[in-house]
Amino acid sequence: MAATVRRSVDPNVVRKFHFTREMIEGPVYRKYEKAIRKVWSVEDLDFTQDAKDWNRIDDEQKRGLLGVTVRFLAGEQNVTEELVPMLAASHALNRFDWTVFLSTFLMEEAKHAEFFMRWHDRVVGVLEPEEVAQHFLVRGKTIDPSGRFEVRDVLHEALPYYGRKLMETTLDGTEAEIERAFVAFSAAYNAFVEGVLTMPSYEIVIDTTSSWNAFPTLREGFRLILMDEGRHITFGTYACKLLIEKDPSYEEEVHRVFDAYRGNIVGLVEYQKAVPGLDLNKYQTMKVRHYRNRCREMGITPDETLIEQILDPSIDFVVGVEAG
Amino acid sequence: MAATAKRWTCVEAGCDYELVAPDAASAIEGAQRHIAEAHSSFELEEMIEDVLEDVPAAEAQSRRRAEI
Repeated sequence: MAATVRRSVDPNVVRKFHFTREMIEGPVYRKYEKAIRKVWSVEDLDFTQDAKDWNRIDDEQKRGLLGVTVRFLAGEQNVTEELVPMLAASHALNRFDWTVFLSTFLMEEAKHAEFFMRWHDRVVGVLEPEEVAQHFLVRGKTIDPSGRFEVRDVLHEALPYYGRKLMETTLDGTEAEIERAFVAFSAAYNAFVEGVLTMPSYEIVIDTTSSWNAFPTLREGFRLILMDEGRHITFGTYACKLLIEKDPSYEEEVHRVFDAYRGNIVGLVEYQKAVPGLDLNKYQTMKVRHYRNRCREMGITPDETLIEQILDPSIDFVVGVEAG
Repeated sequence: MAATAKRWTCVEAGCDYELVAPDAASAIEGAQRHIAEAHSSFELEEMIEDVLEDVPAAEAQSRRRAEI
């Protein structure tokens, strides 16, 4: 290609263009390209066998499975709605590659919500909010018998809280304030909720439906969703890493978020006891692996007291269930 | 240009497994095999890829010799 002679141009015109060679060779843009290559559609999935399986399992199995899937149905709708502050902040920070990637992120979260909506409609026969809400396990009821931990609804409480703070900062704050609020929001959304708390739930559904030899499309949906989630989680942790490298004091925001919702991680996920026959220890050690991995991706030091508490067998209250 | 050798270490509680592979694709495959076989679990591709460390050529070569 022939080289063109460069002439000086108005910087205001230059600012209208965002792509650079460095950006399109960078890790976030590569995640965007991968997301585009891996697009899948809920319409291509066949729910027939899952509907047959639903009719043959017993009531206890139905209660156990629905407790998990309804939480995913609510959770995916929630994370779709709560992503907007991250998009606004990426724009404010002039991170066009982040904005481009987040366009796929938002579409994928909406699609995950669609998957669970279709599954509940076609397999269980529930769709309207009043129908599915009957099966939602309210985590506010959780009591830790030792009184050491407070268990809160991280998904429906923390994400709106950190999201609102990020949005407010995006509108009125300095660049450093936006970056700090971005790290806190991403720590809650990508690292805590998506990257640690939810990972055992995916495996519990996969392990359970595999042991029942049932619900192949639910499993396939989880496999497809997980492929997307891998990009979402590592986008967030990579963004945190970049910002923490710029200002190491941002690391404390990550630990502050994990500390505020410590009880949700050290306790057992309700599904671990709701579904009979699962190896409970597996999901606790797995949480440690995911927590260490998220810290490694962010380039920060894990909180060893949190790890000790996750692995402490005496801390065995179940999140979402009243002890007693 | 030859691919840079990659190191991945498992961070499962109580596990100190480490692998060195000739490239990123082999490292991801080896890490996923380890998680499945040793921990009956799975690890997503990006979660492995994003934490791979480059291994200096001299170290990678000496490890290959040791393995032989």
